[in-house]
Amino acid sequence: MKGYGLTVALPKGRLFAEAFATLREAGLDLPAPDDDRAMFFEKGDLALLLLRNADVPTYVDLGIADLGVVGKDNLVEAGRELYEPVDLGFGACRVSLIRRPGDQGPIRRLASKYPRIAELWLKKKGLSADVIKLHGNVELAALVGLADAVVDVVETGTTLRKAGLEEREVILKSSARLVVNKTALKLKSDRLRPLIARLRARALR
Amino acid sequence: MRPEGTRTYLGDEARAREACVRRLSDLFAAWGYEPVELSALEPFDPAHPHADRAFKLVDKTGDVLMLRSEFTTALIRALLPEGLPAGPARFRYAGPLWLREAPSELGRLREFVQVGVELVGVSSPAADAELLELAWTALDAAGVRDAVLELGLPSFVRDTLEAARLPQDATERLRHAVDKKAVPELAELLDAYGVGGRVREAVLALPDLFGGREILAEARRYALSERAKLDLEWLEAVLAQLPSGVRLVFDLGMARRYDYYSGLTFRAFAPTLGFPLLGGGRYDGAMVPFAAGFALGLERLLEAAGKSFRRQEDRYLAASPELARRLRAEGKVALLAHAQDEAGMRAEARAVGARYLALPEGIEEVKP
Repeated sequence: MKGYGLTVALPKGRLFAEAFATLREAGLDLPAPDDDRAMFFEKGDLALLLLRNADVPTYVDLGIADLGVVGKDNLVEAGRELYEPVDLGFGACRVSLIRRPGDQGPIRRLASKYPRIAELWLKKKGLSADVIKLHGNVELAALVGLADAVVDVVETGTTLRKAGLEEREVILKSSARLVVNKTALKLKSDRLRPLIARLRARALR
Repeated sequence: MRPEGTRTYLGDEARAREACVRRLSDLFAAWGYEPVELSALEPFDPAHPHADRAFKLVDKTGDVLMLRSEFTTALIRALLPEGLPAGPARFRYAGPLWLREAPSELGRLREFVQVGVELVGVSSPAADAELLELAWTALDAAGVRDAVLELGLPSFVRDTLEAARLPQDATERLRHAVDKKAVPELAELLDAYGVGGRVREAVLALPDLFGGREILAEARRYALSERAKLDLEWLEAVLAQLPSGVRLVFDLGMARRYDYYSGLTFRAFAPTLGFPLLGGGRYDGAMVPFAAGFALGLERLLEAAGKSFRRQEDRYLAASPELARRLRAEGKVALLAHAQDEAGMRAEARAVGARYLALPEGIEEVKP
């Protein structure tokens, strides 16, 4: 954003605490988000935006934020042209194909929070099915027959088994990525290069 | 209802666009670039670089046509039947292009104007330096004061990846990861393909070969083949011929369309804009033996230049045709007043944005 040296987009929720701590440890003196209702914080020449996970790639691609942290799952789903120079390692999960045990029939309807990942998987497999975009509780779609398979995020698999569902295929392994706007990386390389180097060194530990 | 991703321009904006195109055209003309006019309708060709993304229409014969989506291809195809000129030939163009698939977000229109040049029939560091200097001068002429030119060398990426001796689809996946600077994926792919040693080291270094001029020395350490060394020497020779004051950054890991670009590529960025203002490069052998060029995006230029085109020349509201003629002969912008008295003329002057009244007794400034 205009008037700031660097603007950072971080996702609220699951990834936030570790993303915040990691960037701070790498020497980025981010403002502490001390107000639950605020979405924007500033300190010195740094600005911090708190966003929904799936919105981080949008803000970074369009150059509002120079860099951000986002899960690989949301990054692939966004399909945007970003640099993704570092795998930060935390927030590990996988995006998998999930069905009811015993279901072997063809997949005609596929429900997901990730319609793009689902489409890409279908295309890769040479299958065609209707993809239904859902916003939450995706397992339910498989259980009650809204769809004959779902594509959803799996962390440990416990929730899935409890719900009486089966993980059939891992489509994508995800973890948190540092993403950088293409222009910002070039124009602010004096700040971003060392930051990337420190984050990589940290990720290797 | 207007189609998505299209815009119309009125008033200040239209005037600013016209002034910007004119200034760029004058500049290119002063460097000896000849104007060309190309048809907006082209026969559909599946081999065209934008075949998938262009707007298509059906002709009365049933043939498929497409709307012009890129000037370079259109220009070269127009030249080919005429026979290529011997030696260097310089061309310039300006006009609208259409792309069906471009998402209509900030600065991404489906109908947009480009102004650009092609330098055909010559391939040398001097030719590349001419284009870079002209691109830099064009940004200045367009009122963009804080731009940076970014140079890339896709041939260096290609020659480095070829050293791994992998099948084409594997090389393509590596190229994609290099272009996204996705070092984690790149390392995974190299492991999977069993690439090790110096080649692995060089490929993994590619994404990070960006920054100032010091990057060239670093790149030389990773130049695996004679060809890769020659790529870098060419770049050094171009830089030696550039005037001082051109702000440059480098990204030798830029790897888009490296099967098309044969040598140097370049883009320009402004700090406040997330998109490049211009793009170009050398594409020897893609359609003709030797050619390079660049194009500027008008919409993006005006966004980056801000207010510098918004100023309007002083206008005069003249009380009679005779007064108006006299002012125009002096090169001034003169409008004929329709109001009958001086008070009416003052109101009219404010409405049409005229700063002065031209009355029989003399010129008078209108207070805003």
